[in-house]
Amino acid sequence: MDIRIIHFYPDLMSLYGSYANVSVLKRRLEAMGNTVAVETVAPGREADISNADFLFMGAGTERSQKAALADFIRFGGAVKAAAEDGAAMLFAGTAMELLGKSIADADGKVYDGIGLAEFTSVQGKKRFVEDVYGITGLFPEPVVGFMNKCSVITGVETPLLESLSLGFGNDGEKRPEGFHRKNVFASELTGPILVKNPRLLDAVVSAIYRRRGEPLPEERPVDKWAEDGYAITAEQLRLRCEKS
Amino acid sequence: MRTFLAILVCKLGRWVGKLVGKGSSMPGKAALKICPDILRRVQLPPHIIAVTGSNGKTSTVEMIAAILRAGGKNVVYNEEGSNQIEGVTTLVLTHATFGGRVKADVLLIESDERYAARSFQFFHPTEFVVTNLYRDQLTRNGHPEWVYDAILPAIHPETELILNADDPLSSCFAGGHGNVRWFGLDRCSISTDAPTGVYHDGAYCPVCKAPMVYDYVHYNHIGAYRCTKCGHARPAADYAATAVDLESGVLTIDGGVTIQLAFRSIYNVYNILAAYAACRECGAKPETIAGGINNYILKNGRMQKFALGQHHGTLLTSKHENSVAYDTNLRYIASTQADCAVLVIVDAVSRKYFTSETSWLWDIDFDQLARPHVKRIVLSGRYCNDLAERFSFTGIPPEVWSVQPDIAAAASELEAGGGEDLYVVTCFSDRDKLLNLPAVKKEAL
Repeated sequence: MDIRIIHFYPDLMSLYGSYANVSVLKRRLEAMGNTVAVETVAPGREADISNADFLFMGAGTERSQKAALADFIRFGGAVKAAAEDGAAMLFAGTAMELLGKSIADADGKVYDGIGLAEFTSVQGKKRFVEDVYGITGLFPEPVVGFMNKCSVITGVETPLLESLSLGFGNDGEKRPEGFHRKNVFASELTGPILVKNPRLLDAVVSAIYRRRGEPLPEERPVDKWAEDGYAITAEQLRLRCEKS
Repeated sequence: MRTFLAILVCKLGRWVGKLVGKGSSMPGKAALKICPDILRRVQLPPHIIAVTGSNGKTSTVEMIAAILRAGGKNVVYNEEGSNQIEGVTTLVLTHATFGGRVKADVLLIESDERYAARSFQFFHPTEFVVTNLYRDQLTRNGHPEWVYDAILPAIHPETELILNADDPLSSCFAGGHGNVRWFGLDRCSISTDAPTGVYHDGAYCPVCKAPMVYDYVHYNHIGAYRCTKCGHARPAADYAATAVDLESGVLTIDGGVTIQLAFRSIYNVYNILAAYAACRECGAKPETIAGGINNYILKNGRMQKFALGQHHGTLLTSKHENSVAYDTNLRYIASTQADCAVLVIVDAVSRKYFTSETSWLWDIDFDQLARPHVKRIVLSGRYCNDLAERFSFTGIPPEVWSVQPDIAAAASELEAGGGEDLYVVTCFSDRDKLLNLPAVKKEAL
């Protein structure tokens, strides 16, 4: 297949190695025999997302997030239509908050999100910074990651991680985390979560194939380093959960 | 009376602490319990210099102390680096008379960037140096703008700010502040026209988030920036490095002051500039400063020479979770000419836990090692798989790098073959795991 990936604001929303999510997805899709084109969108630039296979935006500072939102709002209708149509997308870190109804900053100023989802985000002066270990409904293996945010997100009905045994979720300690509906994936877990979680990468790849109506090849490429790294991380975090 | 008691307890606590080898924050903590505003009650020296920022704090503080002492000033500073309010309290009270007068000309404080506001609620620095702000230990610090917001309340209107003209973020502290002196580095032989790293934190203006452009870049987002919309731009430097020759190790400040660089890195140039500016603002003469720096020996041991089998080794200490520190050392290795091997060790990121947080590996520009003279690279430590995954996305040929989880085994493999130069890139927390191996023979610098 020819696959189009759109990466929104790679320089503005670039904290915590977010870009690696796109790198690892592109490499995986290519290893499966596809031709992958990654288009980047800077603020003010045009983008045709109607036939994109995957949309991505990474984490940014709270101020960069507002700048991203000011530009992204014009894509709101198109992104919602694409989501409805089954397009795969991942909004990681503070980018997740753009999908909701509103974001309140630490001074109480409220910004409208694109309203793809019902949740609201309220930012504060304290950061929640810790490892996360949780369970998703998508596959049996636990999800590992790191939380580094200052927002409390309420009103998520369909979280990506249904329960946490370690870390801060959407609205509290050990509460569900992220958002997932159809092929829309969102999580405040920072950094390259698709690298850290090979099964989550599989889930995104499946979503892309599903929307195209293409069957997944029987054999999927195995990324030894990512698998081994995941195994160690999952084991260590599991041990810590048992201790606490 | 409470002042007296707090000072007494602190001095006693410090004395006992030194006997039993305990840290320097406990006595100050006890004194703060007895008298929470003790720092307001004591009589402080005429100059209180604080230094904060992401990188270079310790080196800058050590140089300022060496220079001012060479000029005959009595300087007290937190040499043990306990730079939160408790440590600062210990420092101040152990040097105070029982009447509460600090016996020094200069109080010099290395201040943790996140806790500066707490330390300076009872007194404020006369000179406040901010070296730079960039991605550093994001698990503690969130992100650079978060750190900026944490430092901002620590800045008193009467404090003179000494700022890095070349840093678009920390230069924002000058906004609305009347009293600012700038240090900076003019375009020089190492300047590039565009940023070179993995990420580009100078792409957007920290004030208005419009695109920024650079006339030249020294490293990361440090250089001559200009916002295309709001006018935020590099100011003219009051203390400028007008020429730098890293090959011969000569730095020229303000066209006339010549300094020999003991450590030939661009980061050292900035630390020297910050120290130079602070000392000038305290009345030191340019020639005194140049003499002080030329006689100052970097004590922090970030570079360690050693022998391993036939290899001449150099350990370059980086900070885990600090991509700028790693990029510095990779840049140095890339600049060498002779054939070499590189050992990268990531074994413990946090002292307390195993953490899943390895995103900082993706912020490091490992592609700098894609050079013909870098013959082999060994990745080692508990996070070797995460390192290997990162390396699998570089342009470095796969036959050049290999993985050996065990540090001792990695050293043995290197010892067994070859005699090329060996560079080791790792953190303070992991360096001794290599240096303490029997096969590793440490050498004096």
